[in-house]
Amino acid sequence: MEALPQTLLFGILRSGLYALTALGLAISLGVIGVVNFAHGEFVMLGAYVGFWLYLLLSGPLGLGPAVSPLVIVIGIPLSGIALYLVAAGIYRFTLRPVLRQPELNQMLLTFGLSILLVNGTSITLGPQAKDANLDWRFDVFDLGFASVTYARLAVFVVCIALVLASYVLLQRSRLGKQMRAVAQNRLGAQIVGIHVDRVYEIAFGMSAALAAAAGVMLVFQTQVSPYLGLGTLLKAFSIVVLAGLGNLTGVLWASLLLGLAEQGVSQYVPGGSALRDGLFFVIIFAVLLARPGGLRR
Amino acid sequence: MRRDFVGWAVFLVVLATLPWLGLGGDRYLMLLANVMLMFMTLALSWDVVARTGQLSLAHGAFFGLGAYSVAIAFKLWTLPPLLGLVVAAIVGGAIAFALGIVTLRLRGIYFAIATLAFAEVWRTVALQVPDLSGGTVGIAMPPLFDGDRIASYYVIGAIFTLALALSLAVRWSRLQYAVTAVRANETVARVMGLDVVRVKVGLFTASAVLATLAGAFYMPFITHTDPFDAFDIGRSVSALVFPIFGGLYTSAGPVIGTIVMRSLEEYLRVTPPWKDGYQVVYGLVIVIAVLFMPRGLLGLAQRYAGRWPWRFSK
Repeated sequence: MEALPQTLLFGILRSGLYALTALGLAISLGVIGVVNFAHGEFVMLGAYVGFWLYLLLSGPLGLGPAVSPLVIVIGIPLSGIALYLVAAGIYRFTLRPVLRQPELNQMLLTFGLSILLVNGTSITLGPQAKDANLDWRFDVFDLGFASVTYARLAVFVVCIALVLASYVLLQRSRLGKQMRAVAQNRLGAQIVGIHVDRVYEIAFGMSAALAAAAGVMLVFQTQVSPYLGLGTLLKAFSIVVLAGLGNLTGVLWASLLLGLAEQGVSQYVPGGSALRDGLFFVIIFAVLLARPGGLRR
Repeated sequence: MRRDFVGWAVFLVVLATLPWLGLGGDRYLMLLANVMLMFMTLALSWDVVARTGQLSLAHGAFFGLGAYSVAIAFKLWTLPPLLGLVVAAIVGGAIAFALGIVTLRLRGIYFAIATLAFAEVWRTVALQVPDLSGGTVGIAMPPLFDGDRIASYYVIGAIFTLALALSLAVRWSRLQYAVTAVRANETVARVMGLDVVRVKVGLFTASAVLATLAGAFYMPFITHTDPFDAFDIGRSVSALVFPIFGGLYTSAGPVIGTIVMRSLEEYLRVTPPWKDGYQVVYGLVIVIAVLFMPRGLLGLAQRYAGRWPWRFSK
């Protein structure tokens, strides 16, 4: 059991990125009530922004050791704004017209967008997976009982910081309160004078911006490819289902559970690293069988 | 209904005589005809579930399960492919029933998410049991009727006829009212005394059996598959984009949609800029159809039927 502290640590570190990805999904689901099958593609597009920035900073600009922090500092606002605009456009021109249509049409629309974005990216940027050799991926930080790469730590810290900042925004700000009001009762919010349509647009844009930030951080962990969205989406789904659809605070705990479970399975179960990829399925079906409303209800 | 019945009967007779009208000699065209019928089966079966207002992303997975069932049955008991079809249908039906019971009691969102998760987990499962599935190398079996594409055409033709029969049976029976009510408003349907879960689970199971059969035909027809081919999400996408393009909630829509879109795919997948991402067209078609032509080609045709010199029947 010598590896236990290390397993716990890695599991916790793993959950940061999951929480950020799932929070965006939970916002679009909770506030607008639409399942966004293209959420994984927002993450993918954010990752391409991060990767492009890495190429620019390390190639022509030759910034060497400053590249890793700069990718975070510039990449997150840049990709966040870019994806916010993309998502706001998607909302205005495609999502808003179907909001009054049956649920099936809404889901078909976002699923169609997902296919469009995956294959559009594959055609324009190539289907190959690309790797960013950021130096933080190789520099190791020694904690005594375990050694962790700077990349893992940075991913966790940045993601959790963004998640907590979003919680503060949702709890304290006027906009956040409006979003929660709309999530609770669309008609009631309308009656007290909230511009529901505008809140929807901002919520959808914000969910995409969070996804984009997660995408930038993903560059520190894995390869970037047009097809990374689906796997990302499924993990985010399992977290959102575990937390209860639309439950925003539950996302943090559910992510922690997924991160720890994945790390535990790959550490202690023989052949676990392959089984780890099926955990999202186990979680979704366990929840649907036992408590369809999510763990907290 | 009677005129539709005559129309479909004529269509089936034409299909049955197609190999004798010059098509039989061309091996490529016969291959295409087999594949078309296979995808029409998939499209028709998906549409039946869509009529209840549910988004199934699992039809590609049932297709893959069918393929593996036949191949594994052959590997273990050297079961001939035609008996393998029966085994596959039982496997697919049982799994679909279990999946339906768990997920169709809940809101439609859960069903869509669960079917997507279901579709993506089978690849991992297949890779986990290499003794049974052949792992990454995949699994092979001898060709159906020694590769006689005219004979196999009649096998898939029979499966297609079953799918068409299901689709038309729903349309022509009292089930038509049931599915429309469920799609329009589940709560109201329940209040009216309709057993909503039973309708949804029943139709999903029947539909999944047909998707499984299409896959069970694919396996001995192509003779080899692996987890990445059998459980390719692209097949679930085809299963939904063909009916959407042709016209949802009809029987002619999925058939017409498959003919047009699948022909386009034959061209795109060998033409350079589209090759790796030809499905971008599918994404575009879904978005445009949902926004501007919710009834697909059939809807367009009906809208403009009056302006045409001849009458256009559905």
